[in-house]
Amino acid sequence: MVIRAKISFFIILAYLLSDSPAAMAFQSHPGPEGLYAHQLAHIFFILAMAFLAYWLQVNGFTLERGWRLIQVSCLLLILWNLVAFTGHWVEERISDAVISGGPDWTQRIVVDSVWTGLYYGFKLDHLVQVPAMLCLALGIRSLYKQAAREEQSGDR
Amino acid sequence: MTANSYSLAPVWFTDVAGSALIIVLSFLAVWFAVRLAKIQPSNVIWIYLLWLCVALAVFGVSRGVGHIAKRFLLLMDMRDVWLSLRPYSGGINTLAFVLVASITLFFQRIHKINTAILNDKEALEEASQEVMHLNRNLESLVRRRTEELSRSEKKYRRIFEGSMDMIFILDEQGRFADINRAGLDILGFQNRDDLIGTMSLAGPFESSEEFDRLMADLHFNGFVRDRQCRFQTKEGKEVFLLLSATSRRDASGTVVSYEGIAKDVTARLYMERQLQQAEKLASLGQISTGIAHEINNPLGVMLGYTQLLLKDHPAGSQIHDDLKTIEKHARNCKEVVEDLLKFARSTQTRKSSIDINQCVEEVISLLAHQLQMDKISVETRLSPDLPRVTADGEKLKQVFMNLLMNARQAISGQGRISVGTESDSGQRVIRIFFSDDGCGIGVDHINRIFDPFFSTKPVGEGTGLGLSVSYGIVQDHNGHIEVESRPGKGSTFTLILPIGEAGCENSAPEKKWNN
Repeated sequence: MVIRAKISFFIILAYLLSDSPAAMAFQSHPGPEGLYAHQLAHIFFILAMAFLAYWLQVNGFTLERGWRLIQVSCLLLILWNLVAFTGHWVEERISDAVISGGPDWTQRIVVDSVWTGLYYGFKLDHLVQVPAMLCLALGIRSLYKQAAREEQSGDR
Repeated sequence: MTANSYSLAPVWFTDVAGSALIIVLSFLAVWFAVRLAKIQPSNVIWIYLLWLCVALAVFGVSRGVGHIAKRFLLLMDMRDVWLSLRPYSGGINTLAFVLVASITLFFQRIHKINTAILNDKEALEEASQEVMHLNRNLESLVRRRTEELSRSEKKYRRIFEGSMDMIFILDEQGRFADINRAGLDILGFQNRDDLIGTMSLAGPFESSEEFDRLMADLHFNGFVRDRQCRFQTKEGKEVFLLLSATSRRDASGTVVSYEGIAKDVTARLYMERQLQQAEKLASLGQISTGIAHEINNPLGVMLGYTQLLLKDHPAGSQIHDDLKTIEKHARNCKEVVEDLLKFARSTQTRKSSIDINQCVEEVISLLAHQLQMDKISVETRLSPDLPRVTADGEKLKQVFMNLLMNARQAISGQGRISVGTESDSGQRVIRIFFSDDGCGIGVDHINRIFDPFFSTKPVGEGTGLGLSVSYGIVQDHNGHIEVESRPGKGSTFTLILPIGEAGCENSAPEKKWNN
C-alpha cells in the first residue's frame, strides 16, 4: 500500500516537472515590487529604531549622554524614514513634467499642487539624516570616551 | 493653486553634501565603535554597536555613493550608466535597511545575555576575591580557630578532669570511650587504658538486669536522670552511683554514643542505713530494757525460791532433780535477759585505760586451740603504736570473742581470719578489724545482723544476741561497728573507738536510750 502511494507521488511529480505550463515555473516581478520592498524595508527600519529608542529609555540607558545621543539618533532616523517613505510615495504621484532643466543644480520645479510642494520639501531629507548620523557618531564617541576614562581609572 | 517655479539647487547641493557627510559620519561612528570594542573586547554591547555602525555605514555608503553617483553621472550625461546602476543602488539600500533593523531587534536579546554574563562575572569575581582572601588569611584563620578550639578544649577538659563525679562517654556498643579521673577512682582503676575501648559499662554493674534496663531506657527515652545504680569496683567493693545519661544519635537516628555523669552516693547511703539501723536498734533497745527489767525480777524470785526448795530436798530425789531443771532454765533465761540488758546498755560499764592489742591477743589465745582444731589460721596485724583507750576491757573482750566466733562459724572447712588494729590520729579513733574468708553475709541479711534474736544459725545453736550485745557495748563506748561483706568471699567487721575518753566511766545505764 505504502509502495503504491510512493510510486503514485513520483509519477505526479514527474508529470508536473515535464509538462507544466510556464506560469507555474516562477512569477514575474515588475517595477512596483522593488518600490514596495523598499517601502516595507523603511517600515521595518522605523519599527526597529522605535524599539531601540523605547528599549534604551525603559532600561535606563539614557541616563548616560552617549546612549541619550544614540536615542536621539534613533528618533531622527524614524523621522527620516517617514520623510523618505512619504517622499517615495509622493514621487509616484507627480508628473515628470513639473521638473525642467538639465540634470544639474539649474533644474527647476513647478509647484502646482500640494504633492509637488511636499515633494520639494521631502527631497531635502538629508537635513534630517545628517543630524541623525551625527548624533550616532557623537553618541558612540561619548561612550568611547567614558569607557576609556573608566578603563584608565580601573573602575571596570 | 498658483503654479510657481522653484530652483532645485538646494536639493542638488543638499543631496551631494549630505551624502558625503553621511559617508564621513558613518565611518566616524564605525571608527569610534572599533576603538570602543578594542577597549573592552569582551563587552558584547560594544560589539553590537560596532555591528550597528557597520550596517549603518553600509547603508550610508550605498545610499551616499548612489546619490552622488547619480548626480555626477547625470551631470556628465551618462544617464544610461546610472539607469543600469540604479537598481543595484536601490537594492543595496533596501538590504542595508533590513540589516540595520535586524541587528537592532537583536539588541535586546544580546543585552539580556550580556547582563547575565556580567552578573555571573561579578559573582565569580566576588567568589574569587573571597577565595583569595581566605587563601591569604587561611593560616591566621586556622591558627585563631585552633587557639579558640584549644582554649575551649582545655576549659571543658578541666571541667571533665576536675569533676568530683564520674563523667564518661560510651560508644554505640556501651564500651567506655572516655572517662575522667574521678570515674577511674570510683571504679577502682588506675589506668584509663584498662577501660577505654575494652570494657563495657555492663562490667562494673552489679546486676546485668539493671544494666539492660538502663540501656533500654536510654534507647527508648534518650535519657535517664538520677537513677541509683549499684556498681562493683575492680576490687569488688560495692558502690552506689546516682547516674544521669543521654544517648546521642546521628542524622539517621542511630545511636552513636552515650554520655553520662554519675555521683558516688555510697557514703550517704551507708550513713542513711546506719541512721535507720541506729533508730531501729534504739527502739529495740527500749523495748528490750523494759522486757528485761520486767522478766528479771520474777526470774530472781523464781531462782531464789528454787534454791530454798533445793535445801529441803536431798540430792537424788525426783523433786531435787526437777528443781535443778527449773533452776537451770531460769539461769538460761537470766543470761538471755542479761544479754538483752547489755545490748540495751543498761548494765554498768567499768572503764579504765586499757591496751586494745593486749585484749585482742588475750581473746585470740583463748580461742587459738579451738581455731586450730577447725583448721582456721589467724593472722594478726596489730599496730605497735596503738594508743591506750579508756574502755571496759572485759566487755570489749566479749565483743572480740563474739566477732571471732562468728568468723569461725562463717568459715566451713579451712579458712583464715585476719585481725588488725590501727590508729587514726587525724580522726582520733582506733580501728579494730576482724576479717574472714567465709561465706559472707547475704544482701537480705546484712541490714538485720544487729537485730536482737536475728540469727542464721540453726535453732538452738545461737540466741541471735551476740552481735546485738556487741553493738550495744561498742555504742556504750561512743564507737560504732561497720560491716562490709561479699557473699561467698567473706566479711570484715570494723570496730571504731574514740581515742582517750571512750565514754564516761561507770556510765549510768537506761538514760542512753532516752536521749
